[in-house]
Amino acid sequence: MIPFKYNVRNLRVRWKTTLMTVLGTALLVASSCILFGLVEGLEHSLKISGDPLDLIVLRKGATAETTGGFESKKADELLTLGGILHDAEGPIAAKELLNIAIAERNRSDDQRPSFNNLIIRGVQPASRKLRPNFKIIAGRDIEAGKGECIVSPGIARLYKGGQVGGQLVFGEKEKYRVVGVFTAGGSAAESEVWADLKDVERNTGREASVSCVQIRAAGPAEFDALRKEIDEGAQFRLAAIPEAEYFRKQSESSLFLKGAGTLIAVLLTFGAMFAAANTMFSAVKSRTREIGTMRALGFSRGDVLFSFLGESILLSLLGGLLGLLATIPMSLISIETSNFATFASVTINFRFGPWVMAVALIMTLVMGLFGGMLPALRAVKLEVISALREL
Amino acid sequence: MKYLTYIFRNARRNPVRTGLTVASTAICLFLMMILLSFFSMNEEASQNSKVYNRVIVMNANGFAGMIPIARVRQIAGMEGVAAASPFSWYGGKYQNERALFAQFACNADSIFNVLDEFKLAPDQLAAFVASKDGAVIGPKLARDYNLKVGDSLPLQGDIYPVDLKLVIKGIYDSPSNTDQRMCLFHYEYLDDLLKTSGTAGGLSNPNGTTAGSGNAGMVFVKCKSADATTAVCKRVDEEYKSTEFPTRTQTEEAFGQMFSEMMGDLKDTIYWIGGAVVISLLFVAGNAMAMSMRERTTEVAVLKAIGFSKSKVLFLVLAEAVLVAGLGGAIGTLGCKGLCDAVDVSRFMGGFLPFYYVPWNTALIGLGVSLFVGLVSGLAPAVIASNTSVVDGLRKVV
Repeated sequence: MIPFKYNVRNLRVRWKTTLMTVLGTALLVASSCILFGLVEGLEHSLKISGDPLDLIVLRKGATAETTGGFESKKADELLTLGGILHDAEGPIAAKELLNIAIAERNRSDDQRPSFNNLIIRGVQPASRKLRPNFKIIAGRDIEAGKGECIVSPGIARLYKGGQVGGQLVFGEKEKYRVVGVFTAGGSAAESEVWADLKDVERNTGREASVSCVQIRAAGPAEFDALRKEIDEGAQFRLAAIPEAEYFRKQSESSLFLKGAGTLIAVLLTFGAMFAAANTMFSAVKSRTREIGTMRALGFSRGDVLFSFLGESILLSLLGGLLGLLATIPMSLISIETSNFATFASVTINFRFGPWVMAVALIMTLVMGLFGGMLPALRAVKLEVISALREL
Repeated sequence: MKYLTYIFRNARRNPVRTGLTVASTAICLFLMMILLSFFSMNEEASQNSKVYNRVIVMNANGFAGMIPIARVRQIAGMEGVAAASPFSWYGGKYQNERALFAQFACNADSIFNVLDEFKLAPDQLAAFVASKDGAVIGPKLARDYNLKVGDSLPLQGDIYPVDLKLVIKGIYDSPSNTDQRMCLFHYEYLDDLLKTSGTAGGLSNPNGTTAGSGNAGMVFVKCKSADATTAVCKRVDEEYKSTEFPTRTQTEEAFGQMFSEMMGDLKDTIYWIGGAVVISLLFVAGNAMAMSMRERTTEVAVLKAIGFSKSKVLFLVLAEAVLVAGLGGAIGTLGCKGLCDAVDVSRFMGGFLPFYYVPWNTALIGLGVSLFVGLVSGLAPAVIASNTSVVDGLRKVV
């Protein structure tokens, strides 16, 4: 075997070329990682569901909370069903009413006002227990009937009047004073404005209907019984969907982003592969005599092949590592865009998880391996005598 | 120009290297075209819509808000208005799946006057107007699901608690940068079903009427002239300002931009990625150029020895870099444009985009970027080459 040190030294000796290649590939790897970090963030927010015993009740045929309304009377009956988990304050189940309304963004850099649609969720006290790790991180929780709301950190930062003490205005009649900021374990709720159910009902004139009812069953047996009763019982004819299943369906909307991200990663990998190949070709060319010498010393063709492949992989690993490092500060950033299934704002936290790591690793390995293959094969094919004779 | 042959020869001297540089530039520019077109074509399409003098009325509160249906008639009678139609998003499911095309309830009599770039054969239009459950669909939708006139198109309600049993009465034709996958049907058909169903569904304010019915959704308004659009927007909003359902009226162009704005930070992120790709291209192309100049140190020295000036050497090297990058850029941008023109990419986007193409100005920007990359990446090697002294260059063994 040709010692690995030889390759490391080589990269160091032609440090300018190495640096250029590494920086180039690092930027490409970082770009892909950022995209996949977003996809992963989106999926993560949709996958986080409270409890395996949670059910979401929608009108039959509806696919989302935002569109699945039914009569409030039925919802009241649902809350009295047996089999729902209870605590000291009553059943862990809540009627919720969603409204999507336009709000103005905070944008000092832009003269033109910018808008997006926000989900306003009218909640009941138990709604908080139905979300994972619901926590008020600033200000206080809402008091019923006072036109107050709490928002996620993203909305507090991005929307006009979103800070504690401010007022979120959605048209003439819908206004809420922001009294607190909440987090909910990174779940989809962190893209929403939460207000008291009664306030939302009054402001939107929808006293007679709810969007969904969230229920936590007391145990697995009760879970199945509840599901059956709501789905098939003559008085309801609603759809009780396990929360995990509901969010899995919702996250299908991220498939497009995932597909687009993959396409982009593949293209960038090819781009970087060619860059690596270029560098390695010139490395082989400028070291023709060295290769001849090594072969004359008794290193086999296989040794030379592995040595050059190893060097190429090392080169792209350096790029991949740097690219991955460059994405670390991104994990502190959240971006806001729209979910084009509901046309409402979603806040996505960049996530630096296994997917992103896998993408970076695969990209660099493919780059190094395929980028180095042809140059390495060329090195192997050199005839010892003519290689030694080379100037 | 007389050095063109020499520059070409130089570029072809190491075909593998040049090929790899061209390939990586082409791929990166191809990618950039895809990313940029995403925004620029929407912008272009919404700007093109200017010529149709349309304004769109929606509830001040957003898509989910209500506009009473009686207002369509009122708006149609306003000064400066040529025609108006409700345009109510049905958003139903097709074949038990979330449908990947837009479905709108509209006024059959006026919709093709409002959307006057959408053409429908007169006999098909007559058939559509005459049948209550009739529908008109776009040519791409017809192709995707192999539908033709006379076929039924059942849709299941998702937002609305009622299902539609539509019969296709016509297939419209429209410019390629419009949605060719729409399904248009009678507003009255949906509204009557809602009146008898008695549930509100996921809608705002049933407003005392039978639940869910009576809501026009959005209203598409055709104005008589370009000058009238601003006045119509103002007139409509003024009229309903102090009612229970105030409106937000804007030109179709502004309406399109609103969707683009909804991309929010994603737009910036994609621009940043585009920027990162260009910078990495600078490194990659610059590296390749530097490598080839290093190999040619002796030759450059000879050039200078026989009397080539500093600036001429600079020019020769820069020209070569621009040529290689420009070639890659041309392949990438024009290739992407050609591909998107030839293949209906939007079909594979799962209904995410109704159409997809690379606008010419975006392709030209891409070409410009590649030339810029060539110029900048060639700069350092060119300056070094033009500054090496003849003696050092000749002495150097590569």
